[in-house]
Amino acid sequence: MFDLFKLELFKLRKKLRAWLGPILVFLLITISFPLTVELASDDLKNVFYSILWIASLLTVMVSVEGIFLEDYEDGTLENFSVANDSLFSMVLIKIFIYWLLIGIPISLLGTFFSVSMTGEMSSFYIALPSMLISTYIFINLFALGNSLSLNKGSVLGALITMPLLFPILILLGKIVLNANFGFEISNLLLLMLGVLLLIIVFIPFIISFIIRTHLE
Amino acid sequence: MLKKLYHQFASPKTYVVLVNKMYPYIFYFSLCIYTIALVWGLAYAPADYMQGNSFRIMYLHVPASFLSQSLYLVMAIAAAVFLVWKVKLAAYMIKSIAPIGALVTFIALVSGSIWGIPTWGTWWQWDARITSTLILFIMYLGLISLHGSFTNFEKADKFISVLVLVGFVNIPIIKKSVDWWSTLHQPASITLTNKPSIDPSMLYPLFFSMIGFSGLIICLVILSSKVQIFNREGNKSWVKDHV
Amino acid sequence: MSGSAMLEVKNISFSINQNRLFQNLSFNLSKGQAIHVKGSNGSGKSSLLRILLGISSASKGEVIWDEEIGKVFLGHKNVLKNHLSVADNLHLHGLDVAHPEVRSILKDLNLDQKAELLVGNLSYGQQKKLALVRIFLNQSSVIILDEPCVGLDDQTRRLITTFLTTELGKNKSIIYTSHIPLELPSSEVIIGIL
Repeated sequence: MFDLFKLELFKLRKKLRAWLGPILVFLLITISFPLTVELASDDLKNVFYSILWIASLLTVMVSVEGIFLEDYEDGTLENFSVANDSLFSMVLIKIFIYWLLIGIPISLLGTFFSVSMTGEMSSFYIALPSMLISTYIFINLFALGNSLSLNKGSVLGALITMPLLFPILILLGKIVLNANFGFEISNLLLLMLGVLLLIIVFIPFIISFIIRTHLE
Repeated sequence: MLKKLYHQFASPKTYVVLVNKMYPYIFYFSLCIYTIALVWGLAYAPADYMQGNSFRIMYLHVPASFLSQSLYLVMAIAAAVFLVWKVKLAAYMIKSIAPIGALVTFIALVSGSIWGIPTWGTWWQWDARITSTLILFIMYLGLISLHGSFTNFEKADKFISVLVLVGFVNIPIIKKSVDWWSTLHQPASITLTNKPSIDPSMLYPLFFSMIGFSGLIICLVILSSKVQIFNREGNKSWVKDHV
Repeated sequence: MSGSAMLEVKNISFSINQNRLFQNLSFNLSKGQAIHVKGSNGSGKSSLLRILLGISSASKGEVIWDEEIGKVFLGHKNVLKNHLSVADNLHLHGLDVAHPEVRSILKDLNLDQKAELLVGNLSYGQQKKLALVRIFLNQSSVIILDEPCVGLDDQTRRLITTFLTTELGKNKSIIYTSHIPLELPSSEVIIGIL
């Protein structure tokens, strides 16, 4: 399991555009939003969290697009199945590594932005946990969509994944709303964590079934 | 014995023979019922005291929204049957229901919008029901495009079944969360959720229109499933005689 | 038939959509034996190998392996990453370029000077040769190759033949498809039907 982790990390780490690229894309999206509204107005403060959520969603969308594609096309997945290694742990590890190399950096960046934007330390407690959890969920769901649409293009993957994400977006919106009203947000964060724990094992399981079908 | 029985029951041939026998009855029965319901509802039922005559579109809208969800339920059952027991007929059913589900959902959306113009003064409201119906519509389109992009139908069957089931788990979550979201963004001035009780003079035609419309859609599903069976098993000798 | 069969294939048939590829194929594979699968293009040779490997499943029939038999497979896909160097690719397969055994094989294949090159910059034949390194150094008791000689020069083809002959001598088994026969000792021929 640890060897697998090291190999997968090696693979992604060696491919700069696959992990540094998305982080830069996140940066670009977050700075391009303020350009479209008047800086002086308070609007930006109100919609800033929405920008963060959508930016992280788009970033995950473009980064996870090729999560299994290369390994599928060069025969790595096939080889995996011949060697009787567990596809499930491979998928689980791959998703975790994507979160490690993309999810965590953009969560930190987003948190930094939100603190400097609002000028309040409280945004730290809103942005960081919500982004850490939500990016992990996004990566899982996009990985699921892209495993279905493997080698059929990322548009199809996005089309079938996006509807599954709406509840999470709504939850994120609710977190910000509650925080603005000064309500407790920890219960909502726990709810989102619960969702993550539910899917963290289940989705890789479905994905490994899908990949096995692709290889047939 | 039991296994044999079930294989026979689930075979496309038995299905086609059975369906061929039943098709004319279902078709004419539902056509009659729906016509009666429409005539009754459009011409005889009194106008609503608040909405005037515009409410009459509900004889199309309500059955369509009902079917948009129940067709998905049928697909989910078929998907489970296909993945667990590998019954090919179930996979054909998913493939043939998906476009019809999309069509029905589209009808529900459009008729809802048309209904909304005189009632709400706008054709689009960020109402929980409408939003989740729109999401459902996109999900149907996703299913269709997923199946359409594979040349190996057996793989495509498995993929579409997985996606149908994942979506099925998600539908109630989407509905619930959208509900939650919309109550938070707009006060309950216009909600469809708490309908005032319907007068029996409207209820009976509505009930008949549900049955009639569902029957007609079932006929459409039967036709489309026969096309599927012909496409997939066209080289078998019985197909030419029955389909 | 010498020794006990490690693989038993019973009456397998295979079809994609409505297209039948082969029907009622049966054979055994025992230790130290080589099987050459012949057939025209599109006859289902690759599909047969994939069924034997357990990647695909047959439409009908059974494939029974002796338990716990390690298999190594090289198909049309090279299992190499274009954006990584030769050394990194070997690392992904658990091989170290500095290891003397790996070095000597790379030398045999004329790849010893290319360790730091990116695989994407190698020629088709060189990539194919690099893919073979993994096969040459494996410990599995069954070697399955799908068209191993395509795009390779005579020298490399001879290397493959020598390697496979040695492996047969070690009581390993081989199944391969090839339009060019490899002239292995005790080669048995079966043919994909249709």
